[in-house]
Amino acid sequence: MTRFRLPAWFVLLLPAIIVLAAVVLIPLLLSLYSSFTSYRLTRPDSLYNWIGTFNYEKAAKSAHFWAAFGRTLLLLTIALNLEMLLGLGLALLVNQVTYGQRALRTIMMFPMMFSPLLVGFQFKFIFNDNVGLVNNALQSLGLSNTAIPWLVDGQLAFFSILVAEMWSSTSVFAILILAGLFAVPRDPIEAAKVDGCTPWQSFRHITLPYIMPFIYIALAIRSLDVARAYDIVQIMTNGGPARRTELIWTMIGRTGYVDAKMGYANAMGYISIFLAIFFTIYFFRKLNAARAELGMGG
Amino acid sequence: MRNLKLTALLGATALAAATGAASAAEFDGVTLQAKLIGGQQYEALYARIGEWEAATGAEVEIISKKNHFELDKEFKSDLAAGTLGWCVGSNHSSFASQYPNLYTDLNPYLSEDFVAEYVPSNLSASKIGDALVMLPRAQFDVSVLYYLKSLYEDADNQAAYKAETGRDLAPPDTWEEYKAQAIFFTDAPNFYGTQYAGKDEAIVGRFYEMIIAEGGQLFNEDWSPAFDSEAGQRALAWFVDLYQAGAVPPGTTSYLWDDLGQGFASGTIALNLDWPGWAGFFNGEDTSKAAGDVGVIVQPQGSAGIRTGWSGHHGFSVTESCENKEAAASLVAWLTNEDSQKLESAGGSLPTRTAVWDHVLETSQSDPFRSEAIAAFQAGSEHAFPAPQTPYWIEATNLIYPELQAAILGDKSIEEALGDASEAVDEMMQENGVY
Repeated sequence: MTRFRLPAWFVLLLPAIIVLAAVVLIPLLLSLYSSFTSYRLTRPDSLYNWIGTFNYEKAAKSAHFWAAFGRTLLLLTIALNLEMLLGLGLALLVNQVTYGQRALRTIMMFPMMFSPLLVGFQFKFIFNDNVGLVNNALQSLGLSNTAIPWLVDGQLAFFSILVAEMWSSTSVFAILILAGLFAVPRDPIEAAKVDGCTPWQSFRHITLPYIMPFIYIALAIRSLDVARAYDIVQIMTNGGPARRTELIWTMIGRTGYVDAKMGYANAMGYISIFLAIFFTIYFFRKLNAARAELGMGG
Repeated sequence: MRNLKLTALLGATALAAATGAASAAEFDGVTLQAKLIGGQQYEALYARIGEWEAATGAEVEIISKKNHFELDKEFKSDLAAGTLGWCVGSNHSSFASQYPNLYTDLNPYLSEDFVAEYVPSNLSASKIGDALVMLPRAQFDVSVLYYLKSLYEDADNQAAYKAETGRDLAPPDTWEEYKAQAIFFTDAPNFYGTQYAGKDEAIVGRFYEMIIAEGGQLFNEDWSPAFDSEAGQRALAWFVDLYQAGAVPPGTTSYLWDDLGQGFASGTIALNLDWPGWAGFFNGEDTSKAAGDVGVIVQPQGSAGIRTGWSGHHGFSVTESCENKEAAASLVAWLTNEDSQKLESAGGSLPTRTAVWDHVLETSQSDPFRSEAIAAFQAGSEHAFPAPQTPYWIEATNLIYPELQAAILGDKSIEEALGDASEAVDEMMQENGVY
């Protein structure tokens, strides 16, 4: 009689499977289940009150939800593009530095060391209409004699949040692109120089294709970050005033933890996860295409 | 067995415990976990916990100290996760109705005489149905009018105001007069006529009291929304007009209590409806540029002849799941007894016990500013009314405030904003099965 034995590969994978199930799969399934219930934090029994797709229908019909969704998408698009351009510029500049580059790289990473909450408080103060640095500077320099409502006007508030996001995360792009720049081989660039290419031509046709995979990795990471932007916005404007800066996660946070409607908050969360999945797939396809172009396999 | 013994012991000394005069070693070995509101102004009272520990032999472990909004989130998480091993929690009359099952009825643990020593209106705002879910501490809040006296004493101001309106310049007694004066005093961006809380529950509370002063109601008896009315429109117009006239700082829609307090203390705001806790701060040489120039009078009235008076008070509660409710009730009674309230109200906050009101009035005689403030708050408290006692108050405020902001900022008309807010609250109440 032979004893039943689990296949070796399965046994080896088992610890990973158990850990993943415990910390990822079970909470995920529980939250998915709760999105089909009327679960309220203050009434634990409501977790068993199955209401089908009511929460999803409610979110799908909510103009506020889709406005927040659209605003998140807009922030994501603008923030990613600007951060990428600034990060690229910063990386190219730092790459030219021969003395003190290490110190510069460390300084460049400072904003990443700040908690987003601190960044939020810092920029909330900077953009305060009454005692803020920006308004005081503008008034002292004689450029303005009014209190500009940075965090109240819809577009200015969006701009202020954008500045805070960019300040805290442009260095993510810069560091990753700098790593890419270090990996660019010298030979093709020197050959291009010999052949009479302009600096722009050698950047456009040699350097850029080499660093594109790094840019796409940075874009994928940051797209997930911005798609779940919460802390900075929560502190600076809390989604207001009059929902002018409401993003998906400030709305979900308030619904779940202040209104205690966790079922509905989870349903909105699941809808918005599609946004993150879409961008991840998009950037990974781009990454593979860029790698294929460099002959690194698709 | 141990529990039985403890109960017997406690039964015998319940009255003594309830009056705060706990006998030695009464709760030996008992450890109570507490989640309390945090802040420098509350520390003096918490220092008294040590005395209660020494008197009873129990030990208090404070496991969380946060503001009420953060505590509220924590309580909700605790309810969801079932992590209710703690016994004593800070509570607030505006939040209490959200957690009907979290806290126990304190009546069985307190003597009737002891309970009767609290101000009846505070006591009734501490109940859910008949259950006394918290004991009020000396942190009673109702807002009165703070103003800069020098503006009213200035002869130029008096003449200009008389010429402009035909009326004498005196601290306002109606909200209409208040609005006119706020616009008159404004010299933006350096000086503003007034300011108001602009978001979250704060602005809805202000709107709520204004609608009552205008003769309306926020909710009908069945909790359906009642604010989409003429009184509601008049109430909201007050906020909108001040904003559109530039008589409030442009960032006021993002201000909460701290911003308002700091704003008035900076000496750049003429009129400020605010809470009692700020009185000392506003007149303190080290804390306020307005020190020595602060006047305090009863809050103005609306067009219906009713004064605003949204009020609330802090309190302490005992959880239903607490294993030592007697000890916890004794601690809560201690923290709100006459001595504790005298200690807290010495810092400028308002008491919720009748005897302590008398004491506060008596001791403030020697300080003209304090006695002016206490007289204003005592007059103000006569017009006080609590926040609507529904578990959905906070949820309703989250639906109402973005619409109020939309009207204030000009994104929507007053009618549109109130209509949308009313529709959203109606849908929420129906969804929750209220009617």
